[in-house]
Amino acid sequence: MFNNILKYIIIIFFFLCNTILLAQDCSISIQGRVVDEVSQLPLSYVNVYLQETSQGAATDNDGRFFFKNVCVGHYHIIFSHIGCEDSKLHIDLERDTVINVDLDHSDHSLGTVVIQGPKDNVSIQPNLSVNRKKIEDSSNQNLAGLIENEAGVHLIKNGSGISKPVVQGLFGNRLTILNNGIAQSGQQWGNDHSPEIDPFAADNITILKGASALEYNGGNLGSVILVEPKRITREPHLHGQVNYSYESNGRGNNANFRLEKYSRKIAWRINGTLRKYGDRKTTNYYLNNTGLQEANFSIQLEKEWNEKIFVDLYASSFNSRLGVLRGSHIALPEEIEQAFTLLEPFYTEPNFSYGVDAPKQHVSHQLIKLKAKYYQNETSVLEFIIAGQLNDRKEFDIRRSGRSDIPALSLKQYTVNVDLTYAKILGDNWNFKIGNQCIVTDNTNNPTGILPLIPDYLSWENGIFATISKKINVVQFKSGIRYDFERQEALTITNTLPKEILRYKNNFQNISGLLAWEVDILDHQSISIYSGLSMRNPEVNELYSNGVHQGVSGIEEGDVNLESEIALKNILEYKWLPSPSFSLSTLAYHQRFKDYIFLNPQDEIRPTIRGSFPVFKYEQTDASIYGVDFSSQFTISNLIIGQVKYSYLRGDDTKNDVPLIYMPPSSVFGSLTYRTLNPINLSSKITLDEFEIELNNRMVFEQIHILAEQDFIAPPAGYNLVGLKVSTNMLTPSYKVRLFVKADNLLNAQYRDYLNRQRYFADDVGISITMGINFKF
Amino acid sequence: MKINYFLFLALPLLLTSCDKDDPVIPNEEELITTVNYTLTSSDGQDVVLLSFVDLDGDGENQPTIMGGTLSANTVYTGSIELLNEAESPAEDITEEVQEEDDEHQFFFQSTISELVVSYTDQDGDGNPVGLNTSITTGAPDSGNLTVTLRHEPVKDAAGVSAGDITNAQGETDIEVTFPIDVQ
Repeated sequence: MFNNILKYIIIIFFFLCNTILLAQDCSISIQGRVVDEVSQLPLSYVNVYLQETSQGAATDNDGRFFFKNVCVGHYHIIFSHIGCEDSKLHIDLERDTVINVDLDHSDHSLGTVVIQGPKDNVSIQPNLSVNRKKIEDSSNQNLAGLIENEAGVHLIKNGSGISKPVVQGLFGNRLTILNNGIAQSGQQWGNDHSPEIDPFAADNITILKGASALEYNGGNLGSVILVEPKRITREPHLHGQVNYSYESNGRGNNANFRLEKYSRKIAWRINGTLRKYGDRKTTNYYLNNTGLQEANFSIQLEKEWNEKIFVDLYASSFNSRLGVLRGSHIALPEEIEQAFTLLEPFYTEPNFSYGVDAPKQHVSHQLIKLKAKYYQNETSVLEFIIAGQLNDRKEFDIRRSGRSDIPALSLKQYTVNVDLTYAKILGDNWNFKIGNQCIVTDNTNNPTGILPLIPDYLSWENGIFATISKKINVVQFKSGIRYDFERQEALTITNTLPKEILRYKNNFQNISGLLAWEVDILDHQSISIYSGLSMRNPEVNELYSNGVHQGVSGIEEGDVNLESEIALKNILEYKWLPSPSFSLSTLAYHQRFKDYIFLNPQDEIRPTIRGSFPVFKYEQTDASIYGVDFSSQFTISNLIIGQVKYSYLRGDDTKNDVPLIYMPPSSVFGSLTYRTLNPINLSSKITLDEFEIELNNRMVFEQIHILAEQDFIAPPAGYNLVGLKVSTNMLTPSYKVRLFVKADNLLNAQYRDYLNRQRYFADDVGISITMGINFKF
Repeated sequence: MKINYFLFLALPLLLTSCDKDDPVIPNEEELITTVNYTLTSSDGQDVVLLSFVDLDGDGENQPTIMGGTLSANTVYTGSIELLNEAESPAEDITEEVQEEDDEHQFFFQSTISELVVSYTDQDGDGNPVGLNTSITTGAPDSGNLTVTLRHEPVKDAAGVSAGDITNAQGETDIEVTFPIDVQ
């Protein structure tokens, strides 16, 4: 459904006293009951706040709340509960009113199956999501950082500013990120590229850990990250929020505002974010030139015609400049070995600076999307999307003769998406969905005076899919198939003399399929089995890369003869949600690859005028990735809630019987949260609620499943990071303020992370304190 | 509805119907393809050219390396020339290094006993550059001489101005090794 936070099943039962209603009647009561959306069990200790009168209440053991002596008028009621996003309800109060509320309390960290409303068809996928509250409380994080602690999710980083997510061992070309329903373009290749998305523009970030994500394009192999704003609340008043946070490490400032208003004519929302960071600091020294500047803006317009047609226009602009640690910009392998032995990286200075100099990246990403939905009747809906993206990436190196101002890599990528999907509920409750998705990508290098690492190319992808699903008593079933056709035209420049342009034309065809069952075995227990086949054709970087990639300290060469890789993934998931106070989920997966494309170190060490570089070639092998994601949430007493998330993963090259490189090591995250149960009334006007103290711990083990010859230096030791967070809401009749203070790496541990490429040169960041304020009206 | 659907399908087809234009072959001004290290004995009689030529940059073709034979117990004057021969006519990169001499320094490391390379030039700050050097040979031996050019080295770090690369930092623009016989 559109409003995924709250569904108001029944609003307004009324009871008229035998007296005539007077305008000044102040004897009205509001009562209601809050239940968990999924289990329909009552939720106790939900804070219910009547904003206009600043009355606060908490639900009892049966989920009930009660306000009496309320006057006639307009009211906003806020429901808040630990782990849930706040929900706000607007009512015109005229008489005694009963409100029944379904709060989406399904523990988001728990890979729960989300079944979308009938109009949007049934989607069965193991997934987990991050809500708006967490986004606001993590205003110092980028998109990838927000989901780092979730089970099965890891980050590949290049320093503190650049990070991209890894889901169940899949990243880069194998993981699709959908921003507002559109496959994010331009960020697939290169581990030193962050997804260019402002998380503040989103309300929900969902990670699908499926076996095959048929409805989504982009060559994913089952895992997809969805970044979505919610629909504009149907509320006639102007509402908005301002977020500000300051982070001590990097002296970072994050500011964000959001305004929205609904009217029958048009609903609108605008969102803007500014961020500025300077040099980060490890336990012992500054990481010079690791600053960051970001300015983002988005606008969302929604319009509904006669309840049949819904149109939504979304435009966003993301602009960032970020520095890369100067001391990590070393090319030769022996220099890496030397750098590793240093106490502090080369070029380390004793002073902090906000400056961003070469090596640096200037990246901007523009998106415009128009979506139209036509509700033909109760059982069928047609959706059309057209979107355009422009990704402009410039990377600057240290160059001779003042050329540091000329980018060493300058790519401009235009993408156009056209999607058409049709969903229908057939007879006997079969849900059917069919769609066609098309993407045209045009990638061009601007002159830099350097041979491009990625060639100019034009690609055209067209995919069609059909899925069918049904729920029969305790069993949910889903199946589907997808066919993709991709045509690539790439223009490479040879590096032999005389230089020539080679024109390559490729056609690829991929087929994917899925079978999924979810069975409720006992009360509140379910077992799901997913089995999916997916294919991914080689991308342009895998086919045609050519040259020294500063990011990997080696010469990277593509192979024009690569073929599509095929992956078969099987997932077994067990979930147990006996009550709102306890939940547990275990997910085991195994993905087998035929012709897995990877960058293989060669025996060759190639002498060049800049020294001798190891050569890496894109090759294919057979591989297997398997692992377990576990998470559980439990209430120790009413006052303390605990959470545990664990990920284990192992990747092997099964043909050569060696480990896969760059696989995340095991990690475990645990937290204990103390909360107050009832709102604290500071005065007649000011109430504090949701006062929480969270103590958390993230432990990452050493990656031992790797051979010494597979890397320049051995993987770093495991590490343990302790965090502490104190947060509360302050409510007054006209606005709501949320305050938080948190400390990351509280013990200032000195550590390096296996998946952070900066580990060859420098430690990871030390202690950091963030203070944030969120003001809502 | 069906007609519309096929129209939408056709839309992207239109976008892809034309071929992509040829890219501009970059003018790789910065590329260094050739290092010529000319050693001239103090009496002017013996001229030895050490050269390293790699026209395809990072490409697969092996570079052409030419070592040399030096006379024992002799003093040579060394001068380095850097060229980009991928361009026609060849571009002289030596000038660029000269213009930014404070940001560049050559380092010379040899495995040959008694072979000493010393700087005979300096930048505006009085630090060595290494485009011009003096080479003194001792007893007969054979081995390698590695010539390294660092961009943005820290010239005032310990030992750097004396020719020790250990603390030099900076980017490696050139690192080439010549086989040398001292007879």
